[in-house]
Order: sequence, then structure tokens, then C-alpha cells
Amino acid sequence: MKKLIVLPLFILFAVNLFAQAEEDQTGRSAPEFKLENVDGNYVSLKDELGNGPILISFWATWCKPCIEEMTKYKSIYEDYKDKGFKVLAVSVDDERTVAKVKPFVRSKNYPFLVLLDTNSEVARKYYAQNVPYSVLLDKDGNIVYTHLGYMKGDELKMKNKIDELVNK
Amino acid sequence: MKRIIPLIITPFLIIIFSNSLKAQNQNFLPEGLGFSNQLEYSNDINKHIEIFEDWLNIDYHKGIFGAGIRFETYEPNDPSPAISRGKTRYADIAYKYLKAEIGDAQRGGEIVVGNYYALFGRGLVLKSYEDRNIRVDNNLLGAKLQARYGGVTLTALTGMAANADNIRNEILHAADLEYKIAQQLKIGASYAANLPEEENAARTMLTAVRIMPSIWNFDFYGEYGFKQNRDVRDLLLHPDTSKAVYYPYNNSDWKVGQAGYGSVNFYYDAFAFTGEYKYYDNFTFASNDGTISYNTPPSVRKEYTYVLLNRHPSALNQADEQGFMIDLNYNLSDETYFSADYGETKTLPYKSYYKQILHDNSPSRVQLREVYTQAYHDWNDNWTTIAAFGYNEERDTDTKNVTPILENIFYFNEINTIKFTIEHQQTTVKLNNEQYYDDAVTLEYLRSPDFSVSVVSELQTKEPEAGRKLRKFWSFIQFGYKIADHTDVSVLFGTRQAGNICIGGVCRYEPEFSGIEFKMFTRF
Repeated sequence: MKKLIVLPLFILFAVNLFAQAEEDQTGRSAPEFKLENVDGNYVSLKDELGNGPILISFWATWCKPCIEEMTKYKSIYEDYKDKGFKVLAVSVDDERTVAKVKPFVRSKNYPFLVLLDTNSEVARKYYAQNVPYSVLLDKDGNIVYTHLGYMKGDELKMKNKIDELVNK
Repeated sequence: MKRIIPLIITPFLIIIFSNSLKAQNQNFLPEGLGFSNQLEYSNDINKHIEIFEDWLNIDYHKGIFGAGIRFETYEPNDPSPAISRGKTRYADIAYKYLKAEIGDAQRGGEIVVGNYYALFGRGLVLKSYEDRNIRVDNNLLGAKLQARYGGVTLTALTGMAANADNIRNEILHAADLEYKIAQQLKIGASYAANLPEEENAARTMLTAVRIMPSIWNFDFYGEYGFKQNRDVRDLLLHPDTSKAVYYPYNNSDWKVGQAGYGSVNFYYDAFAFTGEYKYYDNFTFASNDGTISYNTPPSVRKEYTYVLLNRHPSALNQADEQGFMIDLNYNLSDETYFSADYGETKTLPYKSYYKQILHDNSPSRVQLREVYTQAYHDWNDNWTTIAAFGYNEERDTDTKNVTPILENIFYFNEINTIKFTIEHQQTTVKLNNEQYYDDAVTLEYLRSPDFSVSVVSELQTKEPEAGRKLRKFWSFIQFGYKIADHTDVSVLFGTRQAGNICIGGVCRYEPEFSGIEFKMFTRF
């Protein structure tokens, strides 16, 4: 029974400590990557930097929360694209489902760049252990916010962060 | 447990330490440094099985250079040898690399020394990857070089993967060349060969060519490969002496297997179609001891996210299967969309390499037949419904399964959501027509951005004789919580039915569980 008690106690302890944490941070610089987009052209992160914040969204066609999240990101992108904001939607669909990415993207009419990370090389660099996983970069390529999973309302926090960055 | 406590405490201390620095508004990690930690602990009270697993990654990127390690700890590991792979009590740097990248997206290259992963084409010839959900990690230790110039991408590598005893003793050499001839056409070729440690064992060599044209709203992918091995012999009667003699199989070119994979995509406005075809004939590419799998071609099976649809999975068999799958998607509007899938996988006919080598005269049989349809509709801003129906026939479990699913999602305001999912599965064992039913109910409350709680209950009803019902019940509650922006924690209490986690036709069996499970993922 002691064993069962130890873990929840640790969790409560940690939660109390972290409740006071400062969240608004500039983190590590985003690792560079080069990936093919759905049209077979290579895209490099460093070529996309410099104009405004970049949201890197790791997703997959088989992931339901990812699809919900992408719909919200589509709307956020429309709101901020004129201020230099970009979305790089990195699909981690592997060899079993990568064939479905392009038709899916076309049918959903996503207006942003969709990249293929078929063997999760870039996902590993960004510690995207599961999807959906979002990473927000400032215009200089520093990671300012990461978010794992999606539930309705998560996009509000992301939108606030983007808003702060574009109005800096 | 005494050994485990420090291991559990360590990640917490890391977070607390780093968080307190963060609170002082310092960029506490040196420029270019990142780390992540994934911790999983479970204690099965009924079986008295305790499992602790931890993966700590530390990476450093500076300019064109990168380096990193992954420190893995299992104390103890999962008792299943398929998962522990010789690492029953283990704490070591299991993955380390040095990397340099030069040039840009069009002209440049990358060299990696140490551990790495690699994928050629769609994985027919080589797929070295990690998927922690199914505990697969066939990383290679050696060197990998990639160069891009004028539409040509060349990848060459040499390395060794760890076998079931966590020993690397077999060398793999492989190369892949892809050429973008025009915007609408790419071609490629792959080659891989292993060098077994045993002196007299022959190499297995896989060669494949592929083509990827795009025409209007159609995209095509086609790949054909063949396998050679000089050790595959056939016992035949000598025509003169009538004595049994081992002849080299297919002695003209030592070809002992072949594989084909093709896909076609079509998209028009809100409609999308994907069709896939596979033919895998004795195309398993494994180490000489059989415990390392170097390739994983597309499984051409549907991936499911609902609980009951994974109850009777079908595992990929690169040696003996053929089949197809079609997938249709239609977005009627932003609020309503439909999808439908149909797939069939069969074993190979007797004329195949696989069956000829085994002298197996059995005809081709259906291994898996599956149908899945799903409709999604937003009734208004506060209510979404997903209705799904699945049907499959699976040969290994000899079952037919009919599964209707209804999921309703209620959004109370901008941050509060309740999800309610009902799954019902009616299973018929084809051998004796026995029927049983499973019902799973999931109730989930989500409060963005930090908190979620879900209750998952499952009831299985069997009726071995008329009027006599046997019922089994499982139920667990799971809490999820986010700590600041960098840590996700989940805790599960209760009982869980045995099941399978299947990714790409590779399945991990999870036995019935009763106890507590704790997971924590941190990244900076």
C-alpha cells in the first residue's frame, strides 16, 4: 500500500511547486531541419525564419485530436498570416499512412505548408513523443512554447502567445 | 522499491530545479541544449509485477553540429522478452550520436556517426525506427551519410542493430538513391545487405526500385523489390542417381523472395481517395538469428483509435501476404465529413516463393477483411457527434467482429469539454459459432489547458450455454495534468482488459492489468 501512496504524494508535491512557475520563457533555439512538403519540394526551417512567429504542429491523419487542432490552427493562421506568422504542419504519418496525407490535406484545404516526417526524424529532435504536439517559435527561431495533446480551448492559449509575439 | 525511489525522485528534482531557475526568468539551459525525460511506472497489484522504465534524452545543437545521448533505465523492465530484449535490469546510454549538417535544402548533406534511424522509400528494403508505444527500437550503430544535389538524394549507411540479447554482432550495409527528374516525377532505388557474424552464413540482399509520378490530381507510388540469399536450398532428387540432393534454390540468380507495393491518390475539391496494393512474398529481412527485423513495408491495414477495434488485430507478415485497401474521404462542409475504408489481406498462393520453399501446397486464404465507416458532424458550437461502424474477419483469432461506436462531445464553454463514447462489439468465433459481446464506455472531462479525467469501463458477456451468462468487468480512472508548459503527467488506477497496441501491423500485447500506472513526460 505504501507503494501506492508514494506516487500520488510526489505528484501533489510537484503540482504545488509548479503552480507558481513562471511560464513565459524564451527557451532553446529550434533545431534546424529539412523536410519534403506534400509536393515533393524540400523545405528548410532556416529559410522560413525571420518574418514572424512559426508554429510547428506535429500531427497525423489517424489522430482525431490532431484534426480538431488543425482546424483551429487554420483559423489562427488566417488571422495572423499578414503579420508574418507561419504554420508548418509536420505529418508524422509513417510508411503505412503517408499515402493518405496529400489527399487528406487537399480535401481539408489547409492553407499552410504541410511537411512529411515519415521516419519521425524531426519529431525526435523536438521531443514530439506523441501527437498532436505544438511548438511555437519566435521570429529568431527560439522555442517559446510547447504543448502536448489537444482539447478545446488549448488554441486560446496558443493564440495569446502568438499575439504577444507578433505585437512585440 | 528502495532502488526505484531514487529513480523516481530524480526526474522530479530535475523539474523542480529547472523550474525554480525558470521562475527567476533565466534561460537556464545553455544555448543549443535540450533535454526530455519520459518516465513510466506501473504496479500490478494482483500479479505483483512492478515495472519501471525511463528514457532521458540530452541533445546539443550548435551551428552545423549536433550531438546527443539517450540514457535508458529499466529497474525492472517488462518481463516479456519481446519488450525487454535482454535489458531486464538496465541503466546505460543506449543511444548516442554526433552529427554535422552542411548546405541548404537543395544542395547539402549530413553525416551521422553513432546511433541513427533510417527509412528507404516506404520501408520495403529498410526501416530502422523507434516506436516507444510498441517498444520497437531497431536503431543502427555505425555511420550514415546523406547528400543532396541537383534533385538527387543519396543515402549510404553501415551499422549494427541490437538483437534480442541486446548484442550488436551483425553488420548491415545499405544505400538509397532518389532522383527528382521533374516536378511531377521521381524515381529511386534501394539496396541493403546484412553480413552475418557466422562465417558460413550467406548474406541476405534486398534490392528495390520505385517510381513516383504525379498527373493532374493523381499521385502514384510504385515499388518493386526482390530478395536474394544463397543459403536457401531445395531438397530434390538427382535426375541421374535419384538420390536426395540439396540444390541451390532458384540457382540462376538466388532470388528467394519478392515484394510489390503501389498506391494511387486522387483528390478533387472536398473528395479524396487512396488505394493501396501489396504483394509480400518471403520478403522478411531479418538478422541471421531472426531477432532483428530490418524492414517494415506498409501494412495496408486500417489504424484504429477506438478501444474495441483493436481487440482482434492482424499482424503484418512480410513473408506471406497480398492485399489491398481503399480509403475515401468526403468533406461535405466544415461541419460534416465522412470516411470509408475497405481492405483485404490474403495469404499467398502455392506458387509463391514462400510456399514453394516450405513445400506448402495450401491455397490462398483470407487473413483479414475489414470495413470501417465514420461520419463526423458538428450540430452547433457546443455539440459534435461521431458515429462509426467497423466490421472485420480475422483468421488468427478466427473471429468475426461487428463494432458500432457513438461518440458525443459537448463543449460547455471555451475551455470545458465532456466526451462520452459508447462502443459495442459482437464477436463470433467462426470455429464453433460461439458469440460474445464487449461493451466499452468512456466518459471524459477536459478542462483546457491543464486538466483531464476519464473513466473507462468495459463489460464482456459470454454465454457458453443458453441462459447461462458469464460477465467480466474492468474499469479504470485516469487523470491527466500539465505542469507549466513542459511536463505532462497521467495517473491511472483500476483494472484494464488485455489488449493490443498495433502500429503499422506491428502489435504489442498488453496483458490484463489491475493496479496503478504513472506516466510523466518532460521536455525543455
